[in-house]
Amino acid sequence: MELRYFILRRILVIIPTIIGLTILVFLIMWAIPFDQLIAPYIHQKGLSRAQATLVVEQQLGFYKNDPVLTYLFYLRDLFSGNWGIMFGSASPYNGPVINAIEIFLPNTIQLAIGAVIVSMAISIPVGTYIGSRPNSLGDQFGRVFSLAGYAMPGFWLAYLLIYLFAKNTGILLPVVPWGGNGLNGYYSSGHLVPWIPIQVNGHPVSDLTSYPTHVLLIDSLLNGNIYWFTKAVEYLILPVLTLTYGILAGLLRFIRAGMVDSINQEYVKTARAKGVPEKTIIKRHVRKNALIPTVTVLGLLVAGLLGGAVAVEFVFGYYGIGYLTVLSAEDLQVWAVMGTTIVFGIVLVIANLVVDVVYAYLDPRIRY
Amino acid sequence: MFLTPNLGGKRLAEINKENIQVRVRVDNLRTRFFTSKGIVKAIDNLSLNLLEGETYGIVGESGSGKSVTATSIMDLIPDPPGRITRGSIFIDGFNILSGYDKHVRIIAKSETNVKFRRRKRLIRKHNYIISGIRGKKIAMVFQEPFLSLNPVLTIGEQIEEAILLHSRVSIANSIIRRETMARKDVEKFVEGILAQPDISTRKKMINRWVNEFGVPDIERSLNDLFENSTDDSFITEEAFALAEAEKTGINLDQIYTARGYFDLLDRLHETNLQLIEAEATGNEEAVQRFRDEEHELKSALFKEYFSYSIQRRFLKRVYEKPFKDVARRRAIELLDLVNIAGSERVLDSYPHELSGGMQQRSMIAMALSSNPRILIADEPTTSLDVTTQAQILELFKDISRESNMSILFITHDLAVVAEMCNRVGVMYGGNLVEEGTVSSMFKDAKHPYTTGLMNSIPRAERRFDKSQRLESIPGTVPNLITPPSGCRFHPRCKFKMDICSEKKPKLVEIEQGHKVACFLYSDEIEEEIPDDFYVVPKNEETEEKLFNEAEGVTQ
Amino acid sequence: MVDVDAFKTEIAPPRKIHPKVEEMKTTGKLFLTNKLALVGFTITSFYFILAILDAIYPQYLGVANDSTYLSWVPGGTPTTIQPSQLLSPSLTPAGGWMFILGTTFYNMPIFPAMLAALKFDLGYSLAIVMIGGGIGVVIGVISGYMGGIVDEVMMRVTDIFFSVPFLVLAIAFLFVFGHVLSSVVYALIIIWWPIYARLTRGQALSTKAMNYVESARAAGSSKLRNIFVHVLPNVLSPVYVQFSLDLGTIVLIFSTLDFLGIVNGNPNVPELGSLIVAQGNGLSWLIAGYWWPAIIPGIFLLIFTISINLMGDGLRDVLDPKLRR
Repeated sequence: MELRYFILRRILVIIPTIIGLTILVFLIMWAIPFDQLIAPYIHQKGLSRAQATLVVEQQLGFYKNDPVLTYLFYLRDLFSGNWGIMFGSASPYNGPVINAIEIFLPNTIQLAIGAVIVSMAISIPVGTYIGSRPNSLGDQFGRVFSLAGYAMPGFWLAYLLIYLFAKNTGILLPVVPWGGNGLNGYYSSGHLVPWIPIQVNGHPVSDLTSYPTHVLLIDSLLNGNIYWFTKAVEYLILPVLTLTYGILAGLLRFIRAGMVDSINQEYVKTARAKGVPEKTIIKRHVRKNALIPTVTVLGLLVAGLLGGAVAVEFVFGYYGIGYLTVLSAEDLQVWAVMGTTIVFGIVLVIANLVVDVVYAYLDPRIRY
Repeated sequence: MFLTPNLGGKRLAEINKENIQVRVRVDNLRTRFFTSKGIVKAIDNLSLNLLEGETYGIVGESGSGKSVTATSIMDLIPDPPGRITRGSIFIDGFNILSGYDKHVRIIAKSETNVKFRRRKRLIRKHNYIISGIRGKKIAMVFQEPFLSLNPVLTIGEQIEEAILLHSRVSIANSIIRRETMARKDVEKFVEGILAQPDISTRKKMINRWVNEFGVPDIERSLNDLFENSTDDSFITEEAFALAEAEKTGINLDQIYTARGYFDLLDRLHETNLQLIEAEATGNEEAVQRFRDEEHELKSALFKEYFSYSIQRRFLKRVYEKPFKDVARRRAIELLDLVNIAGSERVLDSYPHELSGGMQQRSMIAMALSSNPRILIADEPTTSLDVTTQAQILELFKDISRESNMSILFITHDLAVVAEMCNRVGVMYGGNLVEEGTVSSMFKDAKHPYTTGLMNSIPRAERRFDKSQRLESIPGTVPNLITPPSGCRFHPRCKFKMDICSEKKPKLVEIEQGHKVACFLYSDEIEEEIPDDFYVVPKNEETEEKLFNEAEGVTQ
Repeated sequence: MVDVDAFKTEIAPPRKIHPKVEEMKTTGKLFLTNKLALVGFTITSFYFILAILDAIYPQYLGVANDSTYLSWVPGGTPTTIQPSQLLSPSLTPAGGWMFILGTTFYNMPIFPAMLAALKFDLGYSLAIVMIGGGIGVVIGVISGYMGGIVDEVMMRVTDIFFSVPFLVLAIAFLFVFGHVLSSVVYALIIIWWPIYARLTRGQALSTKAMNYVESARAAGSSKLRNIFVHVLPNVLSPVYVQFSLDLGTIVLIFSTLDFLGIVNGNPNVPELGSLIVAQGNGLSWLIAGYWWPAIIPGIFLLIFTISINLMGDGLRDVLDPKLRR
């Protein structure tokens, strides 16, 4: 009962935050000179200045001279499910923004969740080990190793992994296919070509019959298509590994700190006094206490990865939400930028909410 | 609270009997903490005996080393920064510190520059040995029950864990007896009970029997049965039916396998203890014999590993369920024993849902879970409110009276000592300065520190006598990084003599059962043995001190 | 019950040194015992010294100014160079010590280019952290001390700023202020202050309740004086840690922006990220076997970020009283 009110209150807080966010982003976009806004239509689509102005004002519904009305109309449409349209030259999708998000967001969620699962699978045992032996050689090595992942740019790590493991060209273990060499060839006519574009502008590229979730991994299974499923898994390996290494340090640091903190607690002394063997103490008494706070980071990690995976999405030509954001921003697609920003905001708030609820469920001391 | 000594239901004469066993013997214990500010000399050459069935109190100001003494006896000194550097602790005749100095080599260049060389294999072995002793032979109750209970496990999980650790074989046995119980067993039991006319003895016998045969749920029905009827065959018939209904029909093969495995584990631990003892005494022949035995057990365990551990890994629930059921039932009994009402509900609650008193009772239940003969209570009532304190103290008294357990009771509260203990030791600056029976201590305290302590207690009669003022001991507890030379108490002592700052007095028996370390009563000097790991830095101050000392000798 | 402790008389030991100085001494001592942090500190200072030297005496390190950065390019300015010329990086070209780490696009030597890039990266990230951090600390400490409605509004505002994807902001700023690196700097300052505001607010909340602040208030100290004299100095230690960690993070963000092509890869604006990306050729060169243009600047950057993170971790261990032994 109390939990329900807690959730309701948190959801209600989202609304002013999101509206503030849209105002801020709208102001930023509005501050861009109008010449800049229509430039893509003139230079790349070959329209005249008058035509371009017409496109922006009539088709997109962005009236530079009347920001208040433009914003209010947008807000009205927003709540009725019409998030505006995008009509750019470089952006990978033209049409309603909400459809673009529907296609691009699940891809990134799949990457982010994959990375979080793999990094948890690595960091829990490793964190337990190094946390129970603070300042040992293994601890220091583990810290520096994980820190390296945190301290290198994501795209550079992707370069490195491709250099080492890419199918046919890798110098260490040339087995893992990646976007560039696998399906489409990395550079075709000098442009980045995304891997496995399942559906672009409504036209499916793969031979699946339906795309209920827009996640190839799941869609192929639902279609019973093993070929595409294996492809989807293969092509996830390198991007997920890249993201995993990036977030490993944060997780590991957190788990280690939790272990070190809880190993010095009184209840560990009690467990020792009971005669519990050291191994069981670590597993049962220390680790459980150390892992519960880790849940709080996980939500933030997923939320952060949605936006933070851009560089990785670029290297691997992966159609994700970050990709959509950056390309539509470079194309000055006002509504697309606002739409993706809202998505980021909502995901952040929901992730925090889920974290709070899960935390309360896991930690018996916390009740709302 | 009143200050007349109360011997916890036991007479002093009983305690002084010669054949009383020493449960814990601490010899020349020395514990050090290596901090960034210097080496804390927390305990210096402390010796004490804890006898069977007695309650021994340790009092002192905070920082006098009483808690460190308790933690040292449990070998729970946090390492790093602490370390027992010397001495031996015999628990039921077994020295838990044998070979302790070999585990870690300490190299100290100066007070703040200390290095440790740890031999991990030996430390692991030591942990294995000690974890079989802790909880089983010696248990401990801590000061802060809220901090000492794991917040994310229920009380039940924590008590059951303690039970499952040390009584696995007996649990397996009771399950097997229950499942294989025949009419003959019941007949024999009924005969035995009917032969016993005394009601309370009967109840005890019934209690023992139901526990032995793993059917504690029918205890009450059996009691009723024996009260209401004297008919031999009728009772047998009914009791057998009751016991039969308790059978769960589980697969006994698993229980047998588990029992075999646990039995081997226990025997291996026992053999290891004997091996260490033999090694300490240097008995070559025995060492060889126990080594062979250990080897044999290990190979047997290796074989059993496949039949037990691997099966258990896949059939975890099937294997653990019967054991957990029994453990839960025992946990309920334990909670009843420590006077917790609604024990079933308490078992399923988390520590933070209970009051401080309930938490401390649960802690005591946990400590009692495998019937240890020795209990260490480290200020168990300090963090509780006054009424709860009284209840918990009462509980401790009950325990000591009923189970003949030896209790080492640590407190800074003299009233508690008077209430609880048979004998008492006073600690100051890491040393035991006085030791004696409670009555002799309160009537006739010898050491200036003890008399100071006694006089610092507000008493009702003093309020009317203006000439007597509440005294306090001037000064503070010494900084144990650089403790005072000689007698640690001399800077605060009213009766300070020249010798006090130079030599350290020895703890000597000046009356029957009363020991004091003070030059007012005896001239015996305790030789100060320097730390063998410690190299004194060469600087002007120490050289000057050495020079002055040398001068003193020539004069 | 009778408590013996209650009757002892406290005599404070005489103190010779000022407590703050003593505190700093122990802090320094503890920091020096942490070997990883010490290594991090040494390497970080080395990088800073290199950058400062390069800023003062550019001629000795090979880069006199921004335009001479390209003075090694054979055959004129970049605009006249054909794309085919790009694909000829060399690991062991002749030409002296500057060419020791090989060349990258336009046959530019990597080593001096990296040093020039370092100067820019460190300068910009220092500027961002100082300005953004300064604004954030002031806002955070005020909102934490004032509490009530001021605090609530302030926190909602930081919520909003937290949710803005910095890439969007950076791109929009490039359109507003022109395609130069300084536009990105403005964007990052706007993104950065809420982090510090949050951090300081939490600290200020707990410091506010401390006795010495209460007593200062009781003694009639004004609000402003209270905030900046009593609260502010005591909330700064986590800020120092965050400060050091962010210096590395911002350099990483610069390189990512460069990679995404957002700063346009202007060769006249040397930057470590743009060196790795090598005018969009980094990856294709890598696959073709020309590894040094992407790997060497990457490692140079990695060593810096790792060591500054180690230093920050060490600082955290030392400054956080909970982690202190």
